Amino acid sequence: MLRTPLDRSSGTLRATPVQYDRTLRGETLPNARASADERLAVYNRQYWFRLFGLFQSAFPLSSRLIGHWEFNDYVARFIGANAPQGYLIDRAIDGFALFFARSWRSIPGGARRPPHLVPRRALIEAIRIDAAFRGVFYAPQVTPFRPDAAQAATLLESRLALSPAAAIFSEHWPLVELREKHANDEGAPRLALPPALAVPQRWALVRRPGGTAQLKLDPREGELLWLLLRYPIAGALGRLEARCSGAERESLPERARFWLARSVELGFWSGLHSQEMS
Amino acid sequence: MSEITGVNTIGLGSSERALPADALGLGLRIPHYAYLYEHWPELDYFEIISENFFGHAEPPLRHLERIRARYPIVLHGVGLNLLGHEPLSEQYLDQVCRLADHVDAPFVTDHLCWTGSQGMSHHDLLPVPYTPELIEFAAERAAYVQRRLGRPFGLENLSSYVELEQSTLTEWEFYSSVVRESGCYYMLDINNVYVSSQNHGFNPEQYLDAIDYDRVLQVHLAGHSREVAHTIVDTHDEPVCDEVWRLYARAWRTGGPFRTLIEWDDKIPPLPVVLKELERAREVRG
Repeated sequence: MLRTPLDRSSGTLRATPVQYDRTLRGETLPNARASADERLAVYNRQYWFRLFGLFQSAFPLSSRLIGHWEFNDYVARFIGANAPQGYLIDRAIDGFALFFARSWRSIPGGARRPPHLVPRRALIEAIRIDAAFRGVFYAPQVTPFRPDAAQAATLLESRLALSPAAAIFSEHWPLVELREKHANDEGAPRLALPPALAVPQRWALVRRPGGTAQLKLDPREGELLWLLLRYPIAGALGRLEARCSGAERESLPERARFWLARSVELGFWSGLHSQEMS
Repeated sequence: MSEITGVNTIGLGSSERALPADALGLGLRIPHYAYLYEHWPELDYFEIISENFFGHAEPPLRHLERIRARYPIVLHGVGLNLLGHEPLSEQYLDQVCRLADHVDAPFVTDHLCWTGSQGMSHHDLLPVPYTPELIEFAAERAAYVQRRLGRPFGLENLSSYVELEQSTLTEWEFYSSVVRESGCYYMLDINNVYVSSQNHGFNPEQYLDAIDYDRVLQVHLAGHSREVAHTIVDTHDEPVCDEVWRLYARAWRTGGPFRTLIEWDDKIPPLPVVLKELERAREVRG
């Protein structure tokens, strides 16, 4: 976790401590070394840097792409509008990804800051990727879907339900690999955005006993999984086939079977939508 | 300290996994999992931050299962808001109780502080004015928590950075009164005593002399950092300093044995480095 330079090293903070409430200042005693305001400022710094650290840890890719100070501005605005409630500090993050995506252009100076550094779309993609990793990690325990004999009979007409411990997404910049490469950097400077990919890349995340597995998907496999989220299995397979050229179509059944079996084996699915409805 | 019983108290040793009076433990931290699973070092117990295991997320719970199969676990909370204005959260207490039952925790601790008000949470351990009026309020709520838990409940003293004009008692008078009147226990953090003594200019030995060591559930030791204006902040990111070791030795001579736990929460070094701090605790005890 980045420890943003505190006054321990620099002597000052970027943001001047706020003017405290008069009553609070009146009730707080100065001592020989520090005024009431300076003493209260210790708590002020702790409050903000605890939250900055929390958000930077939860969004390591986004915060490094935008730069930690810039990212902290967003966090401060979010917290200003959504002060933490309740006893679980991790919940303070809820809603931040959406806030970030929506508020990008409303930040004062936003027009001159980000676009020349990182395209808006890349940052929103980055924050969605960070959010996907977080969602997969924090998902409750789920029993992976293993169709029984009765389900197998109607499986093709059923739509698979994605496990909360899995995520499927696409990227237009090589962001997942960038995230992985800098996972253990501490106090890293702002990361440069790599050149955009020639074609979008689909990824799947799935929580496994040893950690979160990230799978770089074959383009057709990515398409299949994407279609499976929307259509019953037969419909998804049919649509995928329609997108393939003649030569590709020949090998598709075998490849599709393999991808489907692998997705079940790895625990991508938690059940069937028809089951949930019944 | 051995078994503690008495009016309004819940005796130690009710758990099958009751800890020895001189047990040495560590705060469980994620960066140490890998080393733990490879070496399973000899250690009397681990302390977990309760809130980190409240959710349904599988990974933390999976680690907890592995570790609790080998070591006793005690719970340390940061979100009770004992001295807040609002009623204690029954939902929070339900979760602590469930977790304590699940790991068969010999005891549970949290802080003598407030952490939020008016629906907002500061996620910090904030001091109160030390007044007689507040003793009753604190003691009543702490006693309720202990009854609810059905196991010993220890209150930790804070590191603090402000003193409040309304205080009419010293921190140690307030602390000891709450412990005594609630029937709960001390979760005595000697680093916090030192930090606050430096920030507020009191004698830490006087503080420690006011402690009734028969009621100490556990002692915490940790490192701290010095900020501008010489404020010392309880950062848990350094080894325990010599002055705190000296105070620990003095407390041990006065009131030992007591269970002792090392906390290290930031800039966390490899586990062997933290284990050396426990070795030092053994040496200091003499």
